[in-house]
Amino acid sequence: MSLGPNNGFSVRAQRVLVRVLLALRCEARRSPDPAFDAMRAEELADRIMRELPRRVLPVGLCALALVAVVCLIPIARDYMPRGEAKASVAQVVESSIREQGAAVNAGLGALRAVVAPFAGDAASESDEGEAPAPEGAVAVAPFKRS
Amino acid sequence: MLDAQTERLTIARARKGDRAAISELIRAYQRPLEAFLFRMCGKSDLAEDIAQEAFLRVMKSLDRFDDRFRFSTWLFTIGKRLLVNHQQKMRPLADSDAVDFRGRDARTPVTENIEQERGETVQRMIAIALDSLVEPQREIVLLFHQQGWPVERIADKLSMPEGTIKSHLFRARRRMLAAIEHATGVVRTEEVFK
Repeated sequence: MSLGPNNGFSVRAQRVLVRVLLALRCEARRSPDPAFDAMRAEELADRIMRELPRRVLPVGLCALALVAVVCLIPIARDYMPRGEAKASVAQVVESSIREQGAAVNAGLGALRAVVAPFAGDAASESDEGEAPAPEGAVAVAPFKRS
Repeated sequence: MLDAQTERLTIARARKGDRAAISELIRAYQRPLEAFLFRMCGKSDLAEDIAQEAFLRVMKSLDRFDDRFRFSTWLFTIGKRLLVNHQQKMRPLADSDAVDFRGRDARTPVTENIEQERGETVQRMIAIALDSLVEPQREIVLLFHQQGWPVERIADKLSMPEGTIKSHLFRARRRMLAAIEHATGVVRTEEVFK
């Protein structure tokens, strides 16, 4: 720091200014109580950690991934190669349905065989009662006109 | 103070939420920032509060910090802005209320050491010298003489040419000398009359 020898200020004032500037420099560098400063720094660090925005993004992404996996499980299962156990169960179910269908058909066949002789008479009686009207016939109402 | 490389690494750790790194940054810059703010406003409590708030804001937005710049430049800019905002909110009704306040609250952790070593006269002279300065001279003097920043960095922070910073420093020293000369003259005159 120099203002030149003939700057118009007394030596005393210049000395005081130098002391002032040195004292200013000491303020920022030297601590009278480093332990106290360290304690305050720790307290501030604690406060900052408390007030920092929580890291929601990683947690949210994990949750989203979990939901996606759960939703994709049924679809993935359809595309997965089926195991032998599952295939055999399907075959058993299919064959049992076929067996039941065959039994129902056999029962129906037996019923038809029993009913068949009577079914022929009933069909002829109904045919007689419902013979078609001759050509040129006029339909007459079965009740008087008012 | 941390060197640039250590500072960069510590910031990278702090970005990941490393508490130790955050604590390291605070330890490195809390005292210089408080000293700077104290000499800007003259109130140690306010300087501490604003410094804490500045650290909080800086740490919250550490992801946005550009590594090409120095951390302390950013921190001091935010601290100064917070102080100005506070002073604008709390502006006194009369200008006389705000005059000559920089040396009154001198019994603080920041200045206790200086008081013991240099005595109250130096504290009073600091107050007188700084009170004689106008903005941005005071800030430039504090950044240069108190914080030890080079002219180039101050010019970068204040967005001024380096020549302007040097010119402000020269004029500031003359102002401070004049104020000290006047004050010491007053003291001498008082001593004569005693």
